[in-house]
Amino acid sequence: MAGWLFVLTLIAALVAVYRPFGDHMYRVVSGTRHSAVERGVYRLVGVDASAGQTWGVYARSVLAFSAVSILFLYAFLRVQDRLWLSLGLPAVGDHIAWNTAVSFVTNTNWQAYSGESTMGHLVQMAGLAVQNFVSAGVGIAVAVVLMRGFAARNAETLGNFLVDLTRITLRILLPLSVLFAVVFMVGGVVQNLSGGTDVTTLTGATQHITGGPVASQEAIKELGTNGGGFYNANSAHPFENPSAWTNWVQIFLILLIPFSLPRVFGRMVGQNRQGYAIAAVMAILALGSVALTVGFEIHGAGTVPQAVGAAMEGKETRFGVANSATFAAATTLTSTGAVNSFHDSYTALGGMMPMVNMMLGEVAPGGVGSGLYGMLILATITVFVAGLMVGRTPEYLGKKIQAREIKLASLYFLVTPLIVLGGTAAAFGTGNASTALNEGPHGLSEVLYAFTSAGNNNGSAFAGITVNTPWWDIALGLAMLLGRFLPLILVLALAGSLARRQPVPESDGTLPTHRPLFVGMVAGVTVVLVALTFLPALALGPLAEGLS
Amino acid sequence: MTTTLNDLIEVDPAPEPPAKPVKAGLLDPRQLLRSVPDALRKLDPRVMWRNPVMFIVEVGAVFTTVLSMAQPSLFAWLITIWLWLTVVFANLAEAVAEGRGKAQAATLRSARQDTVAHLTDGRDIAAPQLQQGDLVIVEAGQVIPGDGDVVEGIASVDESAITGESAPVIRESGGDRSAVTGGTRVLSDRIVVRITQRPGESFVDRMIALVEGANRQKTPNEIALNILLAALTIIFLLAVVTLQPLAIFSKAYQAAAPDTAALDGHGVTGIVLVSLLVCLIPTTIGALLSAIGIAGMDRLVQRNVLAMSGRAVEAAGDVNTLLLDKTGTITLGNRQAASFVPLQGVDPEVLAEAARLSSLADETPEGRSIVALAGGGDVPAPASAQWVPFSAQTRMSGVDLGGRRIRKGAASAVLKWAGVRDAEVDEIVDRISSGGGTPLVVAENDRVLGVIHLKDVVKPGMRERFGEMRRMGIRTVMITGDNPRTAAAIAAEAGVDDFLAEATPEDKIAYIRTEQQGGRLVAMTGDGTNDAPALAQADVGVAMNTGTSAAKEAGNMVDLDSDPTKLIEIVEIGKQLLITRGALTTFSIANDIAKYFAIIPAMFAAVYPGLDTLNIMRLHSPGSAILSAVVFNAIVIVFLIPLALRGVRYRPSSASRLLSRNLLIYGLGGVVAPFLGIKLIDLLIQLIPGI
Amino acid sequence: MRLPAWLAQHLAALRALLVLTVVLGLAYPLLMVGIGTLPGLSGRASGSIGPAGSTLIGQSFDDDSRYFQSRPSATGYDPAATGASNLGPESIVDTLGDDPSPSLLTQVCARSLAVGEREGVDGRRPYCTAEGVGAVLAVFHRDGFTGPVTRVVSVNQTGTPFLAVYQGVRVEPAENGVDYRALGAVITPVRGDAPSRPVVPADAVTASGSGLDPHISPAYAALQAPRVARERNLDLARVRELITEHTDGRTLGFLGEPGVNVLELNVALDGR
Repeated sequence: MAGWLFVLTLIAALVAVYRPFGDHMYRVVSGTRHSAVERGVYRLVGVDASAGQTWGVYARSVLAFSAVSILFLYAFLRVQDRLWLSLGLPAVGDHIAWNTAVSFVTNTNWQAYSGESTMGHLVQMAGLAVQNFVSAGVGIAVAVVLMRGFAARNAETLGNFLVDLTRITLRILLPLSVLFAVVFMVGGVVQNLSGGTDVTTLTGATQHITGGPVASQEAIKELGTNGGGFYNANSAHPFENPSAWTNWVQIFLILLIPFSLPRVFGRMVGQNRQGYAIAAVMAILALGSVALTVGFEIHGAGTVPQAVGAAMEGKETRFGVANSATFAAATTLTSTGAVNSFHDSYTALGGMMPMVNMMLGEVAPGGVGSGLYGMLILATITVFVAGLMVGRTPEYLGKKIQAREIKLASLYFLVTPLIVLGGTAAAFGTGNASTALNEGPHGLSEVLYAFTSAGNNNGSAFAGITVNTPWWDIALGLAMLLGRFLPLILVLALAGSLARRQPVPESDGTLPTHRPLFVGMVAGVTVVLVALTFLPALALGPLAEGLS
Repeated sequence: MTTTLNDLIEVDPAPEPPAKPVKAGLLDPRQLLRSVPDALRKLDPRVMWRNPVMFIVEVGAVFTTVLSMAQPSLFAWLITIWLWLTVVFANLAEAVAEGRGKAQAATLRSARQDTVAHLTDGRDIAAPQLQQGDLVIVEAGQVIPGDGDVVEGIASVDESAITGESAPVIRESGGDRSAVTGGTRVLSDRIVVRITQRPGESFVDRMIALVEGANRQKTPNEIALNILLAALTIIFLLAVVTLQPLAIFSKAYQAAAPDTAALDGHGVTGIVLVSLLVCLIPTTIGALLSAIGIAGMDRLVQRNVLAMSGRAVEAAGDVNTLLLDKTGTITLGNRQAASFVPLQGVDPEVLAEAARLSSLADETPEGRSIVALAGGGDVPAPASAQWVPFSAQTRMSGVDLGGRRIRKGAASAVLKWAGVRDAEVDEIVDRISSGGGTPLVVAENDRVLGVIHLKDVVKPGMRERFGEMRRMGIRTVMITGDNPRTAAAIAAEAGVDDFLAEATPEDKIAYIRTEQQGGRLVAMTGDGTNDAPALAQADVGVAMNTGTSAAKEAGNMVDLDSDPTKLIEIVEIGKQLLITRGALTTFSIANDIAKYFAIIPAMFAAVYPGLDTLNIMRLHSPGSAILSAVVFNAIVIVFLIPLALRGVRYRPSSASRLLSRNLLIYGLGGVVAPFLGIKLIDLLIQLIPGI
Repeated sequence: MRLPAWLAQHLAALRALLVLTVVLGLAYPLLMVGIGTLPGLSGRASGSIGPAGSTLIGQSFDDDSRYFQSRPSATGYDPAATGASNLGPESIVDTLGDDPSPSLLTQVCARSLAVGEREGVDGRRPYCTAEGVGAVLAVFHRDGFTGPVTRVVSVNQTGTPFLAVYQGVRVEPAENGVDYRALGAVITPVRGDAPSRPVVPADAVTASGSGLDPHISPAYAALQAPRVARERNLDLARVRELITEHTDGRTLGFLGEPGVNVLELNVALDGR
């Protein structure tokens, strides 16, 4: 009961901020007046704030920035032992450094390492957490470009990447991070530069209480749907997520931007109802998923949960089963991947749900930006099929959906299954699947989860599997890289294509894309076309385990 | 007293859309049989390659054939046979659709006999050697050797070979009825025709190519849909191929699991893997897609409309604005007398009689309608009557009966003739004009009796049709040469959304361009040479077959019945084509749900018995489940051929209502139907021993 | 000299990254560290450290019977290596032999038995043997999953099996290092007749996610209260009072689950 109230208050809070926060983001991404600080940044960077970029230039800008980021972060990790605040930790090994650099730049935040024993404070702050901001900024920027594509009339340019990135980071991500870092500190999240304190426990042993700039990183970790924990235990760690209410705040932060972006979309295309429709699709899928995840976990099927009497393995007392399962759903419905409980020990079907959430393409509501653009791609596919059914060349928001759009959209949703299923099959084909901790179907789930998480840039894991081998680090690194940038380029190309199109005026013959019927249809297409693709693989993993 | 037209005369009913029996939809089993050889010929991989979805099925069928020969079993052979049948059924759908066109083409070919052309310079050459610009003489009884324009003479022509209409039509030089078509026969008189076609590109040639689907090009939406289907196919191919290492791992882990026909130590057997793939990829729509396209063109041909490209048919479905000529399309061809308005103190009977007398010799439809309205048309005029015909100078006509001189005509002309000025007449004339009517003033000697109110008569049912158009989101625009006031009144009466008054050809083009700049697609009909630029500019330009060659060249469709209202039907056919594609795509995708539930437990329940929970249809055995899914997948193609050929039922309504209706039938139906179908087939198949 | 476009683009990207690193990677966290030193926040920002460690970080009380015991931890309450067991819901077959690794089920059974013994209550659980391992049989059928049973092994026991006979076949003890599933057995957990709501609560037999869970459930605290009172010669009611005092209820009545902060409770006990 309390568990449902927990969910209801989250919904209420998200509904309450939808308009004001969405409007704020809209003003940020559509405004043309720049603050003194922003102008200072532009001058330092050497960017002309008024110069628009075509989709191709924009894409190259994103890729250049990301490439530089990966190299920079890789180098940073490789030399951390020579830097300030390294806490005496050695340089990060080459394949883990590659994996981690890619992971944070792609907003995945898959962690092939254990934070407290690998990363010094400076790398956490100035390396990893910076990417928490900018990778989120990249996602939002690309989503905004797609919105501009829909809104534009015969336009070639779609904004300027570095300007978008700067404004989004400085006006949306940073202020909220400052606010919520303080909130988290109030809740007990640590924020210091200490290398740790040794304390004597009641029974006379010594315990090393760790320190670090955690609160500042925690805020952006959730807000930017990044998910990379300061500590290995992530949001299960009492220093990252000390109480039931900080847990609520974390889930709220995870969902805040993804669920408010449809408002920006609505404003951008001049029809708020279109934003409501997209938000509704997201909400339907999200609610269904949360209900199933919580339901499966509370039901507690499986030999060990039955023996225990509850699915409590890997869960914290202060969160309990329901709030843990809600977090698990939220973190995988978005591209966050933070965990406050360990999915590997979930019931078979309860543990399947996070996978299914990611397999949906992380669109309900998805990662910051990436969720919205993924959903718009699905909506575009739906418009195409539905549009034919009303007897017209399909059009979405007045833009005709024709061969080029369908080609880009089809490629978009070809990429993820290719990576996830191809990677999983490769792991089994090459024998690397044997690093799974658990055996049989659960071991298969660990492998499937790993590639699902990497390919969808989530970052959570069935963490029993050992993945800091060269093969896994490289394979998952590639999965993250391709899973992030191929779709992103396709989205930008789609934006470019849409922007050039002359909008068709709306009439009674136009397919309405804001009505419940269409909303239901997009949700249906998402489930049937996207999720069912993975059903055969799921059958041999969680379903085999859960239906025995 | 005013008498209304409708009280007195019966208006000709508007020509109904031609009630030719439309054969589409009725699928004759013999037609299926006749198409079998064609369907088999299409198994050639070089032909199949054009349809990636079915090509994959064919490759799969070859693969399972090899496997079945290597390791024969009843199950393997049954699957193989049904996979081949799936391909054949798809080819059959296309062959049947093409077959109907071929029958039509055969009729057309018979019209293209080897004729000899008699050139004006006296030479006789074979018709195929005619060049553009050649002048040929055609006399009564001869077949016109090529497409062209009549440059001299007038003749009645039998065009039944191409239009199917047996009544002869008049073709004459100059004007808008000058075009003649090769293969038609001159019945009377003699004409000289200037050939306008290039050799081998005659109208009939193009018609034949069209109905045979020989050079059928994929339309934009078809291309887009094909891309989507190809993407789905790749995704499912991927899902199936990558399943293998997982299956091998699972089988090895569950050492207790016995080898089955579906799964052994080497993973899922090839037969079952192919079955799963074929069931998941969108074969239903893949199989029927080209048949839907061909049938759509065919439906147009059956309504005597020739589309020069499939693109135009698709564009017709997208049309936002319909430009319709007022005369002949919205209104009956001519104005009719609607009422007599006598001046104060004039006996209505006197006015009516004067109007009647003045019009007795007037053979124009207007004149006849005046006589009809006045009544007593059978009372002949006095023998002494001296007729005064209408002339452009006088702008009136009438009769002199001894001392009685009666005139009717334009107000200014008649008033000047009578030498009077009358405020009351001006007032009546103004009122009629502003109401969209045409006032004819009637005067006897120097006394003005009253005014005849002539008005355009809107064809019955037009208002309702325009209402339908509006619900479909289509704006109707009336094109007329009338002045704006008259046009506005008729537009209001007919219920069109907009009108273009005093329209010149330039105005039409400008109007079309403006609409197109706003992103709208425009359709129009036209027949005259001066319509040609506008026809070319419009996205859908339907030329009347009676029109000039220029018009027919400029448009992208030709209506052989020359019925301007057919534009509305063309739009509906265009929409129906797209709806059919969308509906069957939805159906095809929705089908997958049931197939997953049939095949996945069948493959894997042997390894993980718990997965039998997914066998919600309670299918008899793994073998029967997989076979049932494959059989359903094949049979559903045959079941849907009639729908593909006939098109999804279309009633004009808003997009919202169309979507909910089609989603209910083809979406929900697509989810439910295979559950029932597969279960039913399974009930039969389990009777086969060994399955 | 003009740079090629691609180079200019990458240089701009690098400059942008450096500027943003200064703002987001140094200025922002250091500002927050600064804010964290403000009165009211400084205690929490530095780890909520009290007289005997951080009140947020769980400790092991080393089975010292005078103390309330924390939950099991996959990492022994070491903040330098946080994490969970990551064992799945069907982790029920132990690896026996020289390098043994107990299944999650056996861990649960063993913990339950130990807690039961420590607190003097019934430590039985479903799917657990009396000796505290998972009650799991490897059942061989003639035809794989079906057919008559031909052989039965109790996979987690090398000694006397928990069941003498299964479906008419004598149950054998397991041999070290043998994977009975790979030999074709069907792994079958046996529920047994333990109550479905065991006396030892769930959190007492499961490891947390962080390995640092500072809380136990009120039920687990209540279970331990008599023993602690006895060991400390305290009034049981007083101990229960202290439990209530250190129970964090659901925040606002609906967030999270109630938990007893073990360290605070034990400090309070010591402080008397």
